[in-house]
Amino acid sequence: MPYDPSDPLKDRITDIGPRYYKEFYPPVIEKNRGKWVYHEIIEPGVLVHVAESGDEVYTVRVGGCRLMSIEHIREICEIADKHCDGYLRFTTRNNIEFMVDAKHKVKPLMDDLKNRKFSGGSNKFPIGGTGACVTNIVHTQGWIHCHTPAIDASGVVKSVMDGIFEDFGQMRLPAQVRVSLACCLNMCGAVHCSDIAILGIHRKPPMVDHEWIDKLCELPLAIAACPTAAIKPAKTAEGLKTLEINHERCMFCGNCFTMCGAMPLADEVGSGVAILVGGKISNRISKPKFSKVVIPFIPNEPPRWETTVKAVKNILTVYASDAKKYERIGEWAARIGWERFFEKTGIPFTHHLIDDYRFAYTTWRQSTQFKF
Amino acid sequence: MGKHKTPMLDELEKGPWPSFVSDIKQQAEKGKQALKDAPDDLLGVMELSYKDKVTHWKHGGIVGVFGYGGGVIGRYCDQPEKFPGVAHFHTMRVNQPASKFYSTKFLRDLCNLWERYGSGLTNMHGSTGDIIFLGTTTDNLERVFYDMTHELNQDLGGSGSNLRTPSCCVGLARCEWACYDTEEACHELTMEYQDELHRPAFPYKFKFKFDGCPNGCVAAIARADMSVIGTWKDDIRIDQAAVKAYVGGEIKPNGGAHAGKDWGKFDIVEEVVRLCPTGCMSWDGSTLKINNRECTRCMHCLNVMPRALRPGTETGASILFGAKAPILEGAQLSTLTIPFIRMEPPFEELKELVNKVWDWWMEEGKNRERLGELIQRESFQKFLEIMELSPDPRMVSEPRSNPYIFWKEEEVEGGWTRDIKDFRAKHQR
Amino acid sequence: MTDEEAKKAILDTLGGKSGAKTKFYLKDFYKIVPDMKPRDVKNLVNKMVGEGLLEYWSSGSTTLIGLKGAGKQHREED
Repeated sequence: MPYDPSDPLKDRITDIGPRYYKEFYPPVIEKNRGKWVYHEIIEPGVLVHVAESGDEVYTVRVGGCRLMSIEHIREICEIADKHCDGYLRFTTRNNIEFMVDAKHKVKPLMDDLKNRKFSGGSNKFPIGGTGACVTNIVHTQGWIHCHTPAIDASGVVKSVMDGIFEDFGQMRLPAQVRVSLACCLNMCGAVHCSDIAILGIHRKPPMVDHEWIDKLCELPLAIAACPTAAIKPAKTAEGLKTLEINHERCMFCGNCFTMCGAMPLADEVGSGVAILVGGKISNRISKPKFSKVVIPFIPNEPPRWETTVKAVKNILTVYASDAKKYERIGEWAARIGWERFFEKTGIPFTHHLIDDYRFAYTTWRQSTQFKF
Repeated sequence: MGKHKTPMLDELEKGPWPSFVSDIKQQAEKGKQALKDAPDDLLGVMELSYKDKVTHWKHGGIVGVFGYGGGVIGRYCDQPEKFPGVAHFHTMRVNQPASKFYSTKFLRDLCNLWERYGSGLTNMHGSTGDIIFLGTTTDNLERVFYDMTHELNQDLGGSGSNLRTPSCCVGLARCEWACYDTEEACHELTMEYQDELHRPAFPYKFKFKFDGCPNGCVAAIARADMSVIGTWKDDIRIDQAAVKAYVGGEIKPNGGAHAGKDWGKFDIVEEVVRLCPTGCMSWDGSTLKINNRECTRCMHCLNVMPRALRPGTETGASILFGAKAPILEGAQLSTLTIPFIRMEPPFEELKELVNKVWDWWMEEGKNRERLGELIQRESFQKFLEIMELSPDPRMVSEPRSNPYIFWKEEEVEGGWTRDIKDFRAKHQR
Repeated sequence: MTDEEAKKAILDTLGGKSGAKTKFYLKDFYKIVPDMKPRDVKNLVNKMVGEGLLEYWSSGSTTLIGLKGAGKQHREED
């Protein structure tokens, strides 16, 4: 029975959850699940996993855009039907993995993937993202769909990935480098533990549309939305109910704008990019770490964000030439000292980089051990 | 030629990385999506944002499918006359299958559904893990939901003050390091807590994430209120012959992950023994020894020599609580609370923990306070009391350095009630 | 307090608010029916949404709840 708009609750089905993952296993995965012995990266972007049974599964990893059309997904399906018995998987970092169960099937699959280009000339399925490389950037929505972004997401990611493309398809870095982007500090995509984080920040408090705010919004909700209690009720000269923002307390999060469209905060020059580095999630060798702000602001430069791309490339290049094998960016910076990090990268150290929020003291230096 | 001129976006068709602009254009030209003009108008409004350097979207809070508090994010364009195809452009979060394997049949079904009612544009996947259907009208939300549940046997994901769509690493499906069944745990808890996933239950969002080992491929320790991370208790399994093969250069170290640069001959002492954070390994030229009691399972040696070293066989998970992104009190990583539990379906022990945590947080958590912030505000001691757990030095990096212990009256001999007369009997005024 | 009494208390409290605020956090409902457990209040509130008495308003990250159809956002979103 098709959906009946006049009786939307008829035959309603709810709370059934996702499909069961085991429905979607390629046969070689189903057979050897839980019995894998080891894996190896045989060339950039190509993994082999070997099972107790001697079975092998070859995975070809390709970079994907998080933003994907159904035409493109259908092309992915066509490839998976042709080479992979009709199965594939996505990774948590927006990569696509095509799996085959024999070595001789790898080359035809790779050739097929390499030959597919978008009309503008870009690769549809660049192979890479394994080992000591820069893998795909995870990101948020940006100007394509979000109401509080300080920067675009997809365009910045495209520009940065173009700029560091060689390191997606090669494994020549000291360790893996995880780059993430969140288009505002609410971080619907958490980037606070990334080797390099590109973060959108606003620098101007919201404007208040005094004439309209009381007609469009529930003022108490906007007041309650503010995490720092910076908003209070006010009256205009004409006696209209409105709100007043304590600018000193504003942390530029945009939560009030979410509740009330009469408080926009994005701005052509006020909003832009901050760069954080040195975070990690893995427990390998050293503990997980937060990313630290090293560049407080770069203006928005659509369409190609040249300064941001340059900044990421610079950090990556200096790290690649100076870090020891296995050292993540944060481990490298901790070993050489952050004073050396700024010296070697040539990034200016400004007062914006000294913490003055909660727990700030824990990041200041209580020691005479430092480097000249 | 598209409906709008997009000279700035066209710049993003250049370069080697896949171009989302080319992809949207392809959908605009070839696609048969219900919202015919959506891809074109999306490019149009994006171009305008590229020119203005600000967004042109407004939030909408009311839209959703009936009876669900999550799964739909309302979005409206602030230039609807110029871009009618995206005037209403709501997002739907579709609960992905654990570990994101797909059959092409199911993916095509999803595409057909979205073609029938939406923009033809998706995110594969959103940050939390859901499949994202990007952009449809208010009217179509119920239609998508009806067909999705009836034809695809598939439900929406979470948003708002709900349990968010849980996610997991690839796990046993294709990884030799998974110390428990992350996919089954993820699926089982997703199914167990469908009500909390679809209807607001909490002061704020709540996330489970399931990592199979301390490498942390789904970032559980940084992103989940409850982080379930695989680990083992017994000895690392060593194949000494394979160790020798690594030393002799017959097997590429690190599974070949460093093959793109000449790092010199593999040196097991420099690259493994000396980098071990606990110094619990030694190499005498023929045998690799591990003092397993001192090992903290950082995974480095296993990562470097996957064919020689494997996790032990007494496996389970460590449970950590309280990670979150910076908003509001600052970023937090999860804190180790339960060093080890067994992880066997149907994960009853895990569910008991979940219920205890939720009862406390629902009662005591302030509006928009994540669990990690509540634990900080109320104290870790209080959290342990709620969880009925005994303190354990594994829970801290070091003991407190301030002596301001909040003693409870019942902990002090004789209690706190004293008679000043007894004092005066011995001390003059 | 029976579910019916609790429902009435919730509707009376929300309907009786003359101020501008029409949307509330789940926690605000605990205060309306203080002798009910949080979980039971949650279940009741969600049930009332199912009955069409209340509705959700989501910021994406958090959820507010109010009387169905009340509030200025409706005009905005029409």
